[in-house]
Amino acid sequence: MTGYFVRRFLLIIPTFIGITLLVFAITRVVPGGPIERLMTQIQLGGETGSLERSQGGGTLSDEQMEELKRYYGFDKPMLSSYAIWLKKVLQFDLGLSTRYQDPVWQIIKERFPISIYYGLTTLILTYAVCIPLGLAKGMYHGSALDSWSSAVVFLGYALPSYVIGIALISMFAGYWDIFPLGGFISDNYDELTLWGKASDIFSHSVLPLIAYLAGSFAVTTLMMKNSLMDNLSADYMRTATAKGLSRSESVRGHALRNSLIPVATSFGSNISLLLGGSFLIETIFNIDGIGLLGYEAIIERDYPIVMGILVISSLLYLLGNILSDICVALVDPRIRFGERSGS
Amino acid sequence: MSLLSVQELSVSILSDDGAARELVSKVSFDIEAGKTLGLVGESGCGKSLTAMSILDLLPKPQARRSHGKLIFNGETISTAAPSRLRQIRGKNIAVIFQDPMTALNPVQTVAQQIIEVLNIHFPKLSRRKHRERALELLHEVGIPAPEERLAVYPHQLSGGMRQRVMIAMALACEPDLLIADEPTTALDVTIQAQIVRLLKRLQEKNGMAMLFITHDLALVSQLSDHIAVMYAGKIAEYGPAKDVFSKPCHPYTQSLIAALPGINSPAKSPLLALEGQVPAIENMPPGCRFANRCRHVANICHTEIPQQDVNTNATMVACHRWKEIKQ
Ligand SMILES: Nc1ncnc2c1ncn2[C@@H]1O[C@H](COP(=O)(O)OP(=O)(O)OP(=O)(O)O)[C@@H](O)[C@H]1O
Ligand SMILES: [Mg+2]
Repeated sequence: MTGYFVRRFLLIIPTFIGITLLVFAITRVVPGGPIERLMTQIQLGGETGSLERSQGGGTLSDEQMEELKRYYGFDKPMLSSYAIWLKKVLQFDLGLSTRYQDPVWQIIKERFPISIYYGLTTLILTYAVCIPLGLAKGMYHGSALDSWSSAVVFLGYALPSYVIGIALISMFAGYWDIFPLGGFISDNYDELTLWGKASDIFSHSVLPLIAYLAGSFAVTTLMMKNSLMDNLSADYMRTATAKGLSRSESVRGHALRNSLIPVATSFGSNISLLLGGSFLIETIFNIDGIGLLGYEAIIERDYPIVMGILVISSLLYLLGNILSDICVALVDPRIRFGERSGS
Repeated sequence: MSLLSVQELSVSILSDDGAARELVSKVSFDIEAGKTLGLVGESGCGKSLTAMSILDLLPKPQARRSHGKLIFNGETISTAAPSRLRQIRGKNIAVIFQDPMTALNPVQTVAQQIIEVLNIHFPKLSRRKHRERALELLHEVGIPAPEERLAVYPHQLSGGMRQRVMIAMALACEPDLLIADEPTTALDVTIQAQIVRLLKRLQEKNGMAMLFITHDLALVSQLSDHIAVMYAGKIAEYGPAKDVFSKPCHPYTQSLIAALPGINSPAKSPLLALEGQVPAIENMPPGCRFANRCRHVANICHTEIPQQDVNTNATMVACHRWKEIKQ
């Protein structure tokens, strides 16, 4: 099985190249790239950002166009400039943002704490709520608890997160003024005590967290519930009863562990959520996270940032998938990857 | 006094429309200590429901025992407290199920699953003793290389081996009664014969009684002391095995025996299959449930439920006309 996972790790390389090459190619053909933006700006006579190449309106000469293309790396054929980009990435150099002129890695790194904070909290809270809730729903299928929690969970699932976000803001921040309107910390954050800092972050994150979580409960809760119910009605549960176990003992000793298998295995693929973050929620709550950064980078055609985020998120995703499979193999003895199963 | 006495047992299932349907209707039989009762009947006639209701293993919440009394070793277990029933399960009465592929927990080793039952009923014994006993059991049920098989998961075993593990688990506490619900139906013929021989050997060794459920009349006649033939949730005929088999009184039993491919019958002779279908539970006829398929049907059969008659061999027959049609 080790061989299987080594192969899986090696497969990351071509997959990674495939993903990045595809997006790289798209950045080449999509209209509105950096040079086109520059030209529009010049034609409008506006500021040209940090590149002080404006000739006071009008068009650029061919010579200047060549220079610009060279600056953005558009002068070479696509594959060779991709190779140059990839080589830099391997040296942990993601290039400079065309918008800010700062190193991409620097810009992304600044957003890490916020994104990881929300990602990790969402992940932990999702499992902390969904597993017990799903188990309770499975044990007491058809009870009032089951029906009511289903209604709530599905309502959260059906409403788009930005609708929930806006509703929460206008109610709890606008109308009642219980929570701040947005941001991650208050302006006077540095003057606060440790306890004050913690409660400041907490009060800022309550509403966005609810907006994040509202939609994510349904899937895991229902997965947990269905998985438990499948196992409760399995033949081996009758065997357990026939051995003389009480219901709670047989649930704990048999059904519970088996029903956690699919949920546990979804954990690996969820680590890519750590750096996810919805740009809609980040926009509504004015949170400076990776989601918002990526969205703005696409709108502004800041390709080095787009590619930088892609590199990080695709690596996380690919590693998460392998982690998932390792989880499956660890918890389920029936799964032996890369070997012929059976006796 | 018999070991287990089942008196007028009825099992009802709550269907989706909310109506309770009586799928097993006033079934009575007795099992003597150390003896085997074979319960025969075609698929769906209620054999499993009958067997499962003895230890209250019916699928909850749809199925429940709606009528009847169960007496085990002089104790009325039909009204016993759940905690008392748990003591009996696995220790005094053990069960092996129809499908060995799903009856074992797929993510626990053979050792874990056998030791669990020992742990429930003999918690004071040391882990080492439990392990030794598990090993001994695997050896007893004829599993080769038992030492290695202890650490194995069910999916690594063949169907026959899994059923042996089930048998080992059932025998772990040396029960007085073993309920074997079609233990060989899911297995191929050679394995079937091995398992049946194994059960018979272990039964003699432990002096254990057995309720052996099957739809295979030939099998049951070799194995049982008594036979109960079930049709559409009712007992049609019940008595000593050799009497029921050699002098069947009920037309249903007669047609079952006639349908057996005999050794003496010429090859390619047509199989005598029973015509027609079991009536659906929603519209059970008011009279005899076998009436629509019976060769000897008379008017009375359509209107009145046959009483359970005892004939000269102490065989019970539920038929209006058994005396007239006796061969
Ligand atoms: N959980 C259930 N819900 C609804 N109907 C059921 C349920 N279990 C059994 N039945 C019905 O009860 C009837 C008797 O079932 P049972 O399992 O006792 O049959 P059986 O004689 O054991 O048949 P087989 O030889 O196929 O095992 C069947 O017609 C079946 O459809
Ligand atoms: Mg059955």
